[in-house]
Amino acid sequence: MSQVLENTAPPIVAASQKGSALRRSLIGGLVTSLPVLAIGLAILNFAPTYYTFLALGAFVNLIVVVGLQVFMGNSNIANLGHSAFVGLGAYGVAILSTPLAMKKLSIPNAPFGFATLQLDPVSSAIIALIVVGVIAAVSGKVISRLSGVTATIVSLALLIIVHSVFLNWTDLFKGNQAFFGIPKVVGLPWMLVFSVVVIVAARLFKDSRWGLQLRASAQSPQAAAALGIDAKRLRLMSWVLSALICGLAGVLYAYFAGTISPKLFYFQMIFNTLAMLILGGMATVTGAVTGVIVLSVGLEFIRSIESGVTIGSIQLPQLLGLSGVALGVVIVLCMAFRPSGISGRYELDELFSRYFRRNAK
Amino acid sequence: MDYALQQLLNALAFGAEYSLVALGLAVVFSIMGLVNFAHGEIIGVSAYSVFLAAALGLTSPFVAVLLAVAAAALAAIAFERVAFRPVRYAPTTTGLLTAFGVSIVVQNLFMLLISPKPQSVSILNGLNQMWFVGPFAVSSLQVMELIVSGLTILALVLFLNRSTLGLAIRAASRDFATVRLMGIRANRVIATAFAISGALAGIAAVFIIARRGSVSPDLGFSLVLKAFVACVIGGFGSLAGAAAGGMLLGFIEVGLLVALPQEYGGFKDALTYVIIVALLVYRPEGLLGQRVELGDKEI
Amino acid sequence: MLSVDNLVVRYGAVSAVRDLNLKVGRGELVALLGPNGAGKSSTINALTGLVTPASGRIVLDGQDISRVRTEDRIRAGLTSTPEGRHIFANLTVGENLRLGAATRRDPKGVRGDIDRFLALFPVLSERYGQAAGTLSGGEQQMLAISRSLMSRPKLLLLDEPSLGLAPKIVERIFDFIGELKREGLTLLVVEQNARQALRFADRVYVVSTGTLRYEGPPAELADEHGLFNLYIGG
Repeated sequence: MSQVLENTAPPIVAASQKGSALRRSLIGGLVTSLPVLAIGLAILNFAPTYYTFLALGAFVNLIVVVGLQVFMGNSNIANLGHSAFVGLGAYGVAILSTPLAMKKLSIPNAPFGFATLQLDPVSSAIIALIVVGVIAAVSGKVISRLSGVTATIVSLALLIIVHSVFLNWTDLFKGNQAFFGIPKVVGLPWMLVFSVVVIVAARLFKDSRWGLQLRASAQSPQAAAALGIDAKRLRLMSWVLSALICGLAGVLYAYFAGTISPKLFYFQMIFNTLAMLILGGMATVTGAVTGVIVLSVGLEFIRSIESGVTIGSIQLPQLLGLSGVALGVVIVLCMAFRPSGISGRYELDELFSRYFRRNAK
Repeated sequence: MDYALQQLLNALAFGAEYSLVALGLAVVFSIMGLVNFAHGEIIGVSAYSVFLAAALGLTSPFVAVLLAVAAAALAAIAFERVAFRPVRYAPTTTGLLTAFGVSIVVQNLFMLLISPKPQSVSILNGLNQMWFVGPFAVSSLQVMELIVSGLTILALVLFLNRSTLGLAIRAASRDFATVRLMGIRANRVIATAFAISGALAGIAAVFIIARRGSVSPDLGFSLVLKAFVACVIGGFGSLAGAAAGGMLLGFIEVGLLVALPQEYGGFKDALTYVIIVALLVYRPEGLLGQRVELGDKEI
Repeated sequence: MLSVDNLVVRYGAVSAVRDLNLKVGRGELVALLGPNGAGKSSTINALTGLVTPASGRIVLDGQDISRVRTEDRIRAGLTSTPEGRHIFANLTVGENLRLGAATRRDPKGVRGDIDRFLALFPVLSERYGQAAGTLSGGEQQMLAISRSLMSRPKLLLLDEPSLGLAPKIVERIFDFIGELKREGLTLLVVEQNARQALRFADRVYVVSTGTLRYEGPPAELADEHGLFNLYIGG
């Protein structure tokens, strides 16, 4: 009986369905990245340099948040350690691609011959991402076995371990001081390309068999286990993919800023990106994109107040901490009143097609 | 010999402090499944209350201690009322992220309203002296930390086993709905749990202020991260596990301080966490934790 | 004593209870029967306030308690022994009984009541200091009912007291329920095991798929064989 089935129509049907599902999620990913492209192109063509620099930072955040969504949105486990992977990506390329003359100044005593090694930016990036992948695989092996809360705490522990190594292994990472002289090879166009690639990849993973199974097991672990879903393996998979995307964000940051330091990749980044994802809605890639756009603009506004503004003749004092308060309030209010964030359960393209279908009726 | 004893006292004192904070986390987690990342800010509120009182002319260390504990308990109750009640029945991740948000808000409020820089507080410095016991010199603060923590834990155990409210807290850790069916007010049980959790944090705050002689916005944050780790190795939600995990953490840290050469001292925290993560590989549910049983019919 | 008007309970789009009307008079033992999934437990949970009904009125002793919190309904004299017993497994037998009396302010009376139940169920006395989780199913049910009675309720709701117990023990539990009725307690018993429930019932309601199918004295239900078999069986 089963043989008959295997040799007749279903596989072909399944294959064609699979093809169209793939196409749909590919198109969906591209639709989701349209606003990002539009904003990016507008800035590229019309905005002054200062805004270009701000936008580059926002795009790095975008990639980090999309990376965060890949793990949190599908496994429904809070990850509070993802900026460790951003840092590893950034320091990876810094150590590999910084010109030797610069290294003599900054890390003359680097071990393993790194002081006398200089690779081109592309191979540096590839090697850095491999390192990120390996560290993610090892840490993911542990994290994927733990229950939700414990996994979150361990993700934090990972952040502290990595940060502490950056700070204390001064021969290699230059410790507390800024690591400068990284070749600035990435501008807005490349950043845009990678943003789109990452958004589409996150969407493909979410819609894939693995993404679906992982989301199912997050909803109902026992039902999923009864269907033979190996939740640990899927959590590991999404953890590594998430880490690679975050690592890529780090690589891009290092290549556009040229200077990095450990504190960039610590709690401040966790706060910012987590608030963005929560505000936008962590269930969808659209949510990640929405959150970054809204909060990037919002935070920039608040930062301008924070540094002390003049309204008419009144000079307001510096209000350090205001942006932090705002971020926290955003998280608390979202969780209380709209835990699914701005975009809720549907991706942008799904909203479009629902809208058109309703109108067609 | 002197050195070994000194290190033992160090480990016990560190461990006692972690245990207190970890117990506070575990009491709240066990009854409502809330991973309270804002626990560090409860310590912060306590410490800043002492700072403000001292700045306004308070001179009695005794009153300062009472104030620290009371402020922490009130802060914990206030956090629950304002931020955690709306997400009381929400999934664990929602509560965790809410608490994380509260933590960010309060830390930044300290920065905004007081100062991002550490502020000196000398009112409790008197607690931190050297005592000479025969040939040994011991820190009075460490001895007090050990004794006070021991007494506090004893009082907590008595409360949980003798009083009706204590019984209700223990019962609620397994089956909150049925506790309500006993006519016990859910809000009262939860407020009591937060008050206990806060009071424990307040006691820890006293020791922190006495040792550091200053307060800063992130005062409690890293301590609470360690307390979380203590909960995790003890088994999340288990009170005994939290206390044991805290002690174990104290011993691991002091052990590393003794074992590591001076120039690698900076890696103490990283190595502590590595050791703990390694322990979790062998016991994912923690030392005293139980595998969570799911699937019971909820009422 | 208790009157329920037009009760509706919904879980999302699914209606578990539809327009249910039900009355329990003082001193009565009323049985609420029906097959699995008929909406019996949802009714009980709506009565105790653990689920919020979509609409309907619940009146206890002339007081509308539809919007009153669970805790305060218990304080008003309505108590429930939940399905599956839900004893506090990590507390001792004695501690379970003490929590049952959490609303009372007369330590002497509480001690007297504890002694009474221990005398009634000697096995609870033997296991007084043991964790309640170590009791057998029948012993747990005895503990659960005793614990409910510790608050001295006016009205006791019993949700499936026979669930998962051996016939002999079910017999004993229902003997005890009959005893409680003779003492003057008002009871609403939800059951799948109709034969036992009908032993002492003054009146019977039968529900299936959330709707009331029969209401009246138990004798007539037994006569209308079709209905009996259709909704209750065996």
